[in-house]
Amino acid sequence: MPGVGLNNVVKAYGSTVIIPDLSLDIRESEFVVIVGPSGCGKSTTLRMVAGLESVSAGTIHIRDRDVTYAAPKARDIAMVFQSYALYPHMDVAGNMSFALRLAGTPRAEIDQRVKRAAEMLELTDYLDRKPKDLSGGQRQRVAMGRSIVRDAYVFLFDEPLSNLDAKLRSTMRTELAILHKKLDRTMIYVTHDQIEAMTMADRIVIMDQGIIQQVGSPRDVYTAPKNRFVAGFIGSPSMNFLDGELHGSGSKLEVHGQGFKIPVSKRMQITANAAKDRRVTLGMRPEHFAATANKDGKYAALNLDVDVAEYIGSSQFLAASLGGQPITATVDVGPDAEPMGSGQYFFDTNRMYLFDRASGEAL
Amino acid sequence: MSERIAARSLNNPWRVAGHYFFLVLLALICLTPIWVMISTSLKDQITIFDGKPIWFFFVPTIENYQDVMGAGKFDKYLWNSIIVATVSTFLTLLLGGLCAYSLARAEFKGRRFVANATLLVRMVPPAVLAVPAFSMVLAFNLRSDLMVLIFFYTALNLPFAIWLLFGFYKQIPVELEEAAIVDGASPLQVFFKVLLPLMKSGYAVAGIFTFRIAWNEFVLALLLTGRNTRTLPVAVSGYLTDTGVEWGRIMAMGTLIVIPPLLFTFFAARQIIAGMTAGAVKG
Repeated sequence: MPGVGLNNVVKAYGSTVIIPDLSLDIRESEFVVIVGPSGCGKSTTLRMVAGLESVSAGTIHIRDRDVTYAAPKARDIAMVFQSYALYPHMDVAGNMSFALRLAGTPRAEIDQRVKRAAEMLELTDYLDRKPKDLSGGQRQRVAMGRSIVRDAYVFLFDEPLSNLDAKLRSTMRTELAILHKKLDRTMIYVTHDQIEAMTMADRIVIMDQGIIQQVGSPRDVYTAPKNRFVAGFIGSPSMNFLDGELHGSGSKLEVHGQGFKIPVSKRMQITANAAKDRRVTLGMRPEHFAATANKDGKYAALNLDVDVAEYIGSSQFLAASLGGQPITATVDVGPDAEPMGSGQYFFDTNRMYLFDRASGEAL
Repeated sequence: MSERIAARSLNNPWRVAGHYFFLVLLALICLTPIWVMISTSLKDQITIFDGKPIWFFFVPTIENYQDVMGAGKFDKYLWNSIIVATVSTFLTLLLGGLCAYSLARAEFKGRRFVANATLLVRMVPPAVLAVPAFSMVLAFNLRSDLMVLIFFYTALNLPFAIWLLFGFYKQIPVELEEAAIVDGASPLQVFFKVLLPLMKSGYAVAGIFTFRIAWNEFVLALLLTGRNTRTLPVAVSGYLTDTGVEWGRIMAMGTLIVIPPLLFTFFAARQIIAGMTAGAVKG
C-alpha cells in the first residue's frame, strides 16, 4: 500500500524501551496527527520516519519502499521542526532553496519553485531577509516554505506551532489545513495539543507510553474513546471521572457512586449489563452538563457544590464537587446570566461513558 | 532602558568629564609602554642612555631597524615565527574544532567534566613543562626542528581552544544539522555550509588567542630551538649581551614583532562581528 507504513517498530536505548511495538498505516495524502503527552514517544516515532533516529526492530515503508535503513535524503521526506531550524546565515530564499541547491537543481527551476512557494505563503516581500529580521509567524512560514519547495512525498511536522502565540497558532492551523488541500500530500503531524489534532487531522493517533491507544477520526476518538486515557486526553476541558458501581439490571441499570445515582442510557445498556457488579469509572464531559433539563427526560439530576463559576461569554465554567469528588462543568446559560451557584444541574445520560475501573478500558 | 540611563548621565557635564578622565587614564596606561617601545626604537644609543628620559623631542633614526633587519638572520627568524604560529594555529583550530564538536554532540558519561577539565591543563604554566619538554626533545634528538615547537604549541593551546569552541558549538541547535541532513546534505556539507558559517566567530576568537600565544611564547622556544630554528622572541634575547643591553635594537625588534599578530587580529576580528550578527534561531 502506498503511503507510510510502520510495521512492529521498536525503539530502545539500551535497556530503556521507548516504543515497545508500534504498527501504523498511513494512507497516501492523508493528514495524520500523532498526539499524546510529552514523553509518549510521538516525536521519536516521527524522527524514525524521518530517518533521524534509528529503528531498533521492525520496518518502515514509504511509498511501498522499505526505508528502514535509508538515509533521510533517500526517503523523499520534508520536515518542519519545532524550533524552525532556519539557517541563520542564509536569507529566506537561501533557506528555502538550500535542499534544491544541494540536489543540483537548475537555477531557473529553483527560482521558480521558491517564487511559487513564497507566493503561497505570502513571503514574496521577505525573500532577501535574514531569519532574525522576521517575526515568529514569518519564520514559521519560511520553515514551511523550505519543505514545500522540496515537493516531497511525505511532510513531517514536529510540533511546528508550539512556539507561536495563541492567536497566530489558530491562524496557522487554518493555513496548514488549506496547505494540505492544495498540496495533496501525505502529512504526519506531531503535537501535544489535542485542539490542533482535532481541527486538522483526517485521523488522530493517540499515544501514551510508546503505545498507540487509539487511531480514528476526530469524531471517533471524541465520541467513542477506547479507554480512559483517550477519553481524558481528547476534549477540552477534559472529561470528569467518577468512581461508581453498576446496580440493578436490564433497563433499570444504574451507576451508583458517592452522592449520585445515574441511570445507564439505552446506548450503554447491553455492554453495561455484561459488566454488572463490576467496579466502573463513570465518564462525563463538562460540556454535557446543563442548567435546565430538557423534555426528553434523558437528563439525570445531580447536586453540584459549585466552588467557582467562571464567566466565558455565553456559557459558564463551573469548578464544583459531587459527593466530595471534584467535577467540572460547562453550562450554557447565555451571556447575561448571574454567576451560577450550588444546586441541581442536569447531565445528558446519552453522553455518558463507562470504563472498567481496573483496566481503564471502555465498556 | 540602558540607553535612557546613558542619555541621562550624558546630560551631566561633570559625569561626562569623569568618564573621559578615566578613559584617558586607561588609554595612557595601555599606550605608554607601547610609546616607550616605539620611541626607544627610534633613538640612538646616546639618546637612550641620556641622564633623564626624553619622551618626545629627539631626532629619530632608523639605524636600529637597519641593524636588526640587516644583520644576523632576521628574515630566517621571522619566517620561523610565521611558520610556527600559523601552522600551530591551524592545527589547534582543526583538532580543537573536531574535539569540541564531538564533546558538544556525542552523548557519553562525564562529557561535561571532560569539556571543562581540558581547561585545567591550561592552568599549568608553560615554564613548568619546559624541563620535561626539553628532555623529551633530547631523547628523540629533535632539537633544531620547527616541528617540535609546532607540536608543543598545539598541545598547549588545544585545551583552551577546545573549551572555547565547545561553548560555541553548544549554542548551535542540533535541529539545524538535522534540518540540513533532511535537506539532503552530506556530513561534509553540513559542516561547511551550515556549521562553519555559524562558527566563524568562535574560530576567530580561538584563532586570535592561539596565534598570539604561539607568536609570543618565549620560554619553550628558548629551550627547544637551535641556531636555525629560533623564533623572533628568542632572537630578541640575543641582544642581551655580555657587553650590555642593546635597548634600541630590542625595541626595534619588539616593534616589528607586534605587526603580524596585529594584522592577524584585525583580520580575524572582522569575522567575529560577522558571526555575531548572524544571530538567533527562533523567536
